[in-house]
Amino acid sequence: MNRLVAVPLILCAATLAACGSSSKTTSSNTTSTTAANTTTTSVTLTTGNPSAAVTINEDGSSLLYPFLQELVSPLKAQYSNIALAPSPGGSGKGIADAISGTVQMGGSDAYLNSGEMSANAGLMNIPIAVSAQAVYYNLPGVTNLKLTGNILAGIYQGKITKWNDSTIAAANPGVTLPSTAVVPVRRVDSSGDTFLFTSFLSATNTAWQNGPAFGTTVTWPAVSNELTASGNPGMVQTCKTTTGCVAYVGVSAEAAAQTAGLEQALLQNKSGDYLAPSSATITAAADAGSANVPSNLAQSLIYEPGAQSYPIVNFEYIVVKATQTSASISEAIRTFLAWAISTSGGSQSQYLSKDNFVPLPSTVLPAVNAAIAKITP
Amino acid sequence: MSITTEARPEPSAPLRSARRRLPGISADGSVRSVLLVAAVIPTAALAFLIYQMVKTAWPAVIFNGVGFFTTKTFTIGNLYATGTEVHHGYTAAKSASYGILPLVFGTVVSSFIAVILAVPVSVGGAILLAERIPVRLQGVLGTFLELLAGIPSVVFGLWGIYTFGPLLSRTLYKWIAALHIPWLTGPTGAGEGMLTASLVLAVMIIPIIASTTRELVRSVPAISKEGAFALGLTSSEVVRIVTIPYVRTGVVAASILGLARALGETIAVLIISGNFLNAYPHSIFDPFSTMASTIAAFLDSALTDSTGMAVHSLAEVGLVLLAITLVANLAGRMLSRRFSGAGLPVGRGV
Repeated sequence: MNRLVAVPLILCAATLAACGSSSKTTSSNTTSTTAANTTTTSVTLTTGNPSAAVTINEDGSSLLYPFLQELVSPLKAQYSNIALAPSPGGSGKGIADAISGTVQMGGSDAYLNSGEMSANAGLMNIPIAVSAQAVYYNLPGVTNLKLTGNILAGIYQGKITKWNDSTIAAANPGVTLPSTAVVPVRRVDSSGDTFLFTSFLSATNTAWQNGPAFGTTVTWPAVSNELTASGNPGMVQTCKTTTGCVAYVGVSAEAAAQTAGLEQALLQNKSGDYLAPSSATITAAADAGSANVPSNLAQSLIYEPGAQSYPIVNFEYIVVKATQTSASISEAIRTFLAWAISTSGGSQSQYLSKDNFVPLPSTVLPAVNAAIAKITP
Repeated sequence: MSITTEARPEPSAPLRSARRRLPGISADGSVRSVLLVAAVIPTAALAFLIYQMVKTAWPAVIFNGVGFFTTKTFTIGNLYATGTEVHHGYTAAKSASYGILPLVFGTVVSSFIAVILAVPVSVGGAILLAERIPVRLQGVLGTFLELLAGIPSVVFGLWGIYTFGPLLSRTLYKWIAALHIPWLTGPTGAGEGMLTASLVLAVMIIPIIASTTRELVRSVPAISKEGAFALGLTSSEVVRIVTIPYVRTGVVAASILGLARALGETIAVLIISGNFLNAYPHSIFDPFSTMASTIAAFLDSALTDSTGMAVHSLAEVGLVLLAITLVANLAGRMLSRRFSGAGLPVGRGV
């Protein structure tokens, strides 16, 4: 019954980006630590159904959790001996559990920081899908509002307090803006969404970059009428009940935000175009960012160049140790990851579309498969 | 995390002699060992908890030093920046800083406001439930009280943030703010903040204080009350002169239990507080943060701090919270001992 699929991969030959001797940094917040293993040896990725039943436990990002749940049955159908058991404990807990060995895989919306990588040799972050973040607002009568990172940074710093502020008006010629107070909403809990949003603010606003900077928790500037909410559903609910609100919400909660009657803002990208998140604009940003992916795969996809690139895009990561406890568990993890990123496996639209995720760009697949191949007993 | 203080009426004479006979009964070794295990488990659990917390917090205690109690900025730092902070040989993430003054302020003040609001309501309600309404109604209303105690705190939090808080900020808070009393005036916001959190905490601890008080009121000897009535006291005088003095030791103890609950409440406060850090609230309506809610808000990010100092510091916050709860408990015990000194005008536990 064992199906053995061997995908021969030659690092560097497959993609230049995978082993560029020094990783290029295009955006201000890219971690550019180069992994130790950049040798030019060929790595063979072997996958297949393990001979005995194996359960892969995953804990981590609540944003990634619904997608992994989608994958449980089709994975079982394809590989009868691999059971995937995901749980939504939070990115930080998922990473900590993967390091301690409580679970085999941690899910994270944020790439590992360089401290985590150097403190845990052999800890890898493997992109599994591409997600994005939308900015919503509640301003009756105003649709397709255009916002820039600078305007949002001004709002979350308390410098822009009215919707008819001159900077917002300048970005929206011809739109009649009310004098309603701007109510920024932020997450109260540690969150990958906060990481993405503050990464965007840091990439577009120097004061933000030198002040709160970015992370899953940041020190928010004091803004008198700011509101807080817990989770994406909380962000949507709070914004729904507050006229004048602005809130950052993962695209996986797009349906909920639309049901709540919130309007999606068009965000200005690096080339000055205003875009909404869509499959095409997210893919364009991922394609642009993938050209620079360092060998450790820790790559921000925020504010990527290109007229069609949506500015707040990210890789969803599986954090996994390169050295696993047994041959069967490492085979199961390799098989799952290789299957999950394949467009004929887990990265089909029927599994991705519920969360509005898009598949990994094909240009990054060789580097990701090479990383997966390193998972060994 | 709470240590219970139980108020017991002085044992009557037959009970006292039964206690004296106890060594004879405990010759039955199995009973004795079962009781011993039951007594040791909670003590051992607390000791283990404290040991673990001290062990986890120790690097933070050294890293933070006195600044932990004298500074206002609490941040785990920028985990994605290069460089670290080093103090006293221990390392933390770049620009990490751990000062808990505003958190201590938020925790203590919000909990005290909650207790001050909850005690009169609880005692009044308990006396009403135990003495002033028909027995059949007592059962129904008593069930409501017990149901209130069983509601998960996240439900209280969501109710507070989406219903209770917005309603009050449009009405009651506006009226209070209009009086221009210092610290009780200013923008009332959308209902996130200290007063809403204190009110929700009060609702959460009312069942704790009220159900204990109700049992105490029921235990007031009928003969004392009847004696008072026979002397011509009105029913409100009986409550004031007989019932309240009889139960007040127990009410203080129950209030301490409620205070401990409020000090440690996490999720409801996290949702309602507005999670405002690094400064004191300008008014009672302003967002704030407590120690418990900060631990919950930071924990997941803290786990990604490879220096480990974020987790160590959160453990230190937990340790300080434990100490505050302990101090509140001891103070309550002293207070109730002072109160119990006052005798009853018509005899006690006859």
